[in-house]
Amino acid sequence: MPKDPQSDIPARFRVAKTTLLVDRFMNQFIKIGGLSIIVAVFAIFVFILAQVIPLFRDAKVEELKAVQLDAAEYAILGIDEWSELPFALRTDGEFLFADVIGERGLTRKSLPFVTEHGFGAAHYNQLAQRVAIGTRNGKFALVDLHYRPVHAPGGGRSITADPRPGPLYDIGRPGAPITHIAYADAGARKLAVVKQEPAENGGPVELHAVSLTQRRGLVGGGQISVDRSFDLTPLVPGTIDRFLVPAQADAVVVATTEGEIIYLFRQGDRFVVRQTFRPFPESPGPLSTFNFVFGDVTLVVGDQAGSLKGYSLYLAPGAEQRLFGHTKTFPAQKAPGTVFANSVRNKAFVVGSGSHADLLFSTTEDRRWGKSFDFAVTHAVIGGKYDRMVFLDDKHVLHFYRLDDPHPEASFRAFFGKLWYEGSPAPRFDWQSTGGSDDFEPKLSLVPLIFGSLKGTFYALVFAVPIALLAAIYTSQFLKPEIKTVVKPVMEIMASLPSVVLGFLAALWLAPIVETRVPSILLLVTLVPFSAFALGYLWTHASPRVRVLIPHGWEFLVFIPVLLGVGYAAWQMGPALERLLFVVTDPSTGARVADFRLWWPTVTGTPFEQRNSLVVGFMMGFAVIPIIFTISEDALSNVPQSLRSGSLALGASRWQTAFRIVLPTASAGIFSALMIGLGRAVGETMIVVMATGNTPIMEWNIFSGMRTLAANIAVELPEAPHHGTLYRTLFLGAMVLFLLTFLVNTLAEILRQRLRSRFRSVE
Amino acid sequence: MALARPSDFAHASAPAPGTFNPAYIQVKNFSFYYGHNKVLHSLALDIPERQVTAFIGPSGCGKSTLLRNLNRMNDLIDGVRHEGDITVGGRSIYDPLLEVIALRKRIGMVFQKSNPFPKSIYENVVYALRVAGRNGKSELDEVVERSLRGAALWDEVKDRLHESAFGLSGGQQQRLCIARAIANRPEILLMDEPCSALDPIATSKVEELIHELKKEFTIVIVTHNMQQAARVSDRTAFFYLGKLIEYAATPDIFMNPKNPQTEAYVSGRFG
Repeated sequence: MPKDPQSDIPARFRVAKTTLLVDRFMNQFIKIGGLSIIVAVFAIFVFILAQVIPLFRDAKVEELKAVQLDAAEYAILGIDEWSELPFALRTDGEFLFADVIGERGLTRKSLPFVTEHGFGAAHYNQLAQRVAIGTRNGKFALVDLHYRPVHAPGGGRSITADPRPGPLYDIGRPGAPITHIAYADAGARKLAVVKQEPAENGGPVELHAVSLTQRRGLVGGGQISVDRSFDLTPLVPGTIDRFLVPAQADAVVVATTEGEIIYLFRQGDRFVVRQTFRPFPESPGPLSTFNFVFGDVTLVVGDQAGSLKGYSLYLAPGAEQRLFGHTKTFPAQKAPGTVFANSVRNKAFVVGSGSHADLLFSTTEDRRWGKSFDFAVTHAVIGGKYDRMVFLDDKHVLHFYRLDDPHPEASFRAFFGKLWYEGSPAPRFDWQSTGGSDDFEPKLSLVPLIFGSLKGTFYALVFAVPIALLAAIYTSQFLKPEIKTVVKPVMEIMASLPSVVLGFLAALWLAPIVETRVPSILLLVTLVPFSAFALGYLWTHASPRVRVLIPHGWEFLVFIPVLLGVGYAAWQMGPALERLLFVVTDPSTGARVADFRLWWPTVTGTPFEQRNSLVVGFMMGFAVIPIIFTISEDALSNVPQSLRSGSLALGASRWQTAFRIVLPTASAGIFSALMIGLGRAVGETMIVVMATGNTPIMEWNIFSGMRTLAANIAVELPEAPHHGTLYRTLFLGAMVLFLLTFLVNTLAEILRQRLRSRFRSVE
Repeated sequence: MALARPSDFAHASAPAPGTFNPAYIQVKNFSFYYGHNKVLHSLALDIPERQVTAFIGPSGCGKSTLLRNLNRMNDLIDGVRHEGDITVGGRSIYDPLLEVIALRKRIGMVFQKSNPFPKSIYENVVYALRVAGRNGKSELDEVVERSLRGAALWDEVKDRLHESAFGLSGGQQQRLCIARAIANRPEILLMDEPCSALDPIATSKVEELIHELKKEFTIVIVTHNMQQAARVSDRTAFFYLGKLIEYAATPDIFMNPKNPQTEAYVSGRFG
């Protein structure tokens, strides 16, 4: 047994073993506790970071299989929605289906009508899995591919295709060969457009369109028939090169060999030229790339030098129609982009030029992936789930690639920069994570949310800081201590009110009152402080005979009734003020009405909403006031009595002592109080979720709402699929919030230390 | 004794040279309570003008309490109450019509522990003028130099007037507080054990200063140090357990005390 080190010490000097044990235990316990807090905070940060980092990864692409096709010319390349059975259409009208998953190899399907009439041109609609084929003699037919999964009896599943042509329709000049075709089906509206070259050698090129209708019977769709024919040739100056028909089937966008684009729009029973423009005025000549990205709103055009631009349809301010405008500039290609395929899941597209291919994302202008092959690409297609890519090369080899790009719409610019979204007249910061349609473009800018957080915090602090600080100064410096012992715990109870209750009150009780009583509130916030100042002035100039009636520390007995009276009067006078100042013509009735809710938008041009910053300011201020009050009151009360005595003994008034000595000395503590209040306001969630309307707007207007980072996480988390882009973007929002508070707290701590050393009081 | 009317208070005229009011401050049958605890028992004494009066006595005898009552600093404490009266220049300091701020401008105070404000040396000195709304640069500069010279601190700090007062040593800080107290030229200077936290060198400087200041101010000093009382004061009051035991010219108290308690205290037998 080891010798007890205390054995040679007299018993009365010995330390009890339990004392030593407890001391050592507590030492270790506190160390472990402190360290694990630091580790926990760090681990949270690392976890959030791990959720966020995949957003900024590029696409990963790897080749899975290569299949040798027939040595023939191919018109189009397509793929089924499972990405298992891509096809290529030979220019002699034979479909080649390549089984890239199973062992079935190549399957051939030829269409009798093509053999009969000759192959002219084809157009592939990947979403509908339909091919429009124009013939050598001025007819066209729609071929449904009929992809479907077949389940084998012993388990396992394979995809089969069964291209079935519909009826043949006549289009344009009878008998003239079709050299280009486009078809769009928007349900009630269907439009087919063809380019015909009646004389093979240098004859005039013609552009014809037909609209189709489908008679609807009681049971299902009926036969589709030609409704009306249009000759579009006279509308196009120059030589027709190519054209596109948007999915809405209401327009034709034609590119000429001179590099000009003509936007033809259908109005009733005729087409009109809505817009003519040259995307590359400096390099005339046929466009290399001329295609829509998914949604058919953005046009990707490329010139012969490899420049690539995006043109989007939008309504410019003051314009009456949506026209194409230059919105995107993509990374330039080394060679003209002759091969194009767009994703049918998002705004990604692949551009091939020679042996190089780039995967680009339209919204962010971002290059997701790029590769130089050892073959020349002639055709490309992107799988329906944006998970496969297929290329066809000039040696007739079909290359099947896996595409792993879960977050194509994410980029630093998408989160923090201005982007020119489709349909928007200018680049902007926007948050709109989900939309109603498949071709919706997610808008993931965090800037409006950061702005919202700052706006909510600003209005809360504007309301809370003066009240809380003045209350703290009054309570610590002027109020009788026996009243102070009541006031302080009451304020602390106020701090413990659940914010969901405050939010509920704000949304359902306060907001409707504030909405109709804005003039009263204006009067209240001006008259009450003013009357307080006026009363203070009168009080100091009152005869000492009056003042001795109220002992020091009890002055509030005079003030409170007066302020309550003024407050009541201000509230009651609000409607009168409204009738006096806020009279405006009601746009719906034309009558002159006194209504602030109409006056504000008429005069300032900014909206007036019921759930606005004023309400949030009040309620969040209510949540923040007790915190700022309690901490700053402590700081003020902790200023050494000797400093106050010193100041008073020099003939300073209590007010002068409070402002010249106590306030500067307590400034470090008051600063902490403000920062803790700020932190509470920035992170506050429930009040803003319930009382702001959650509109992600960027304006300081006090009568409109906001969406804060914290509220955004609460509102959108239920809609965010696990590990999806939105899910990770919400984590990015959380990280921004984390960094924001971290930054503010660090700055505050540095400033606080400086204040503290400057106003260090006598020890 | 000159009977001053209330209106005289703010413009108390300096008496003719050599004629000092022997009862400038009168404590009249003054009792003082902290809550129910009576700490001063019916005190009565007259403090002469432009002399140094020392209050001595063991701890808890009430000497500081009386001193702090002279400029009503005890008002800041809760649950205090008094009986009797104190007059300065013939006027009660408890007159409800009297501004306590004006009273404190007239009666400067130096505390036991130096308490410079967290400001520069310059701003510490001119504080009394600033709160009175006097901000003229030339006046303030003049007051700073005069007050710091008066507190025998000028030569030590004249090159760093705008540095923090916390950079000064303890003795310098206390002299700064004296400079601050005399900046607005009060009539009376109350000193509550001004040297208790100072080393002997700093103490002797402050004592020399008190000798100088006597020419201009009426000084009341509370001290534990009987040698100090003997060195600096003209009259000495000995308190014990809240009662005034003996009050006489300083040499009489120390050389020829009438009361045996006084004798016991000044000869160091208790205290």
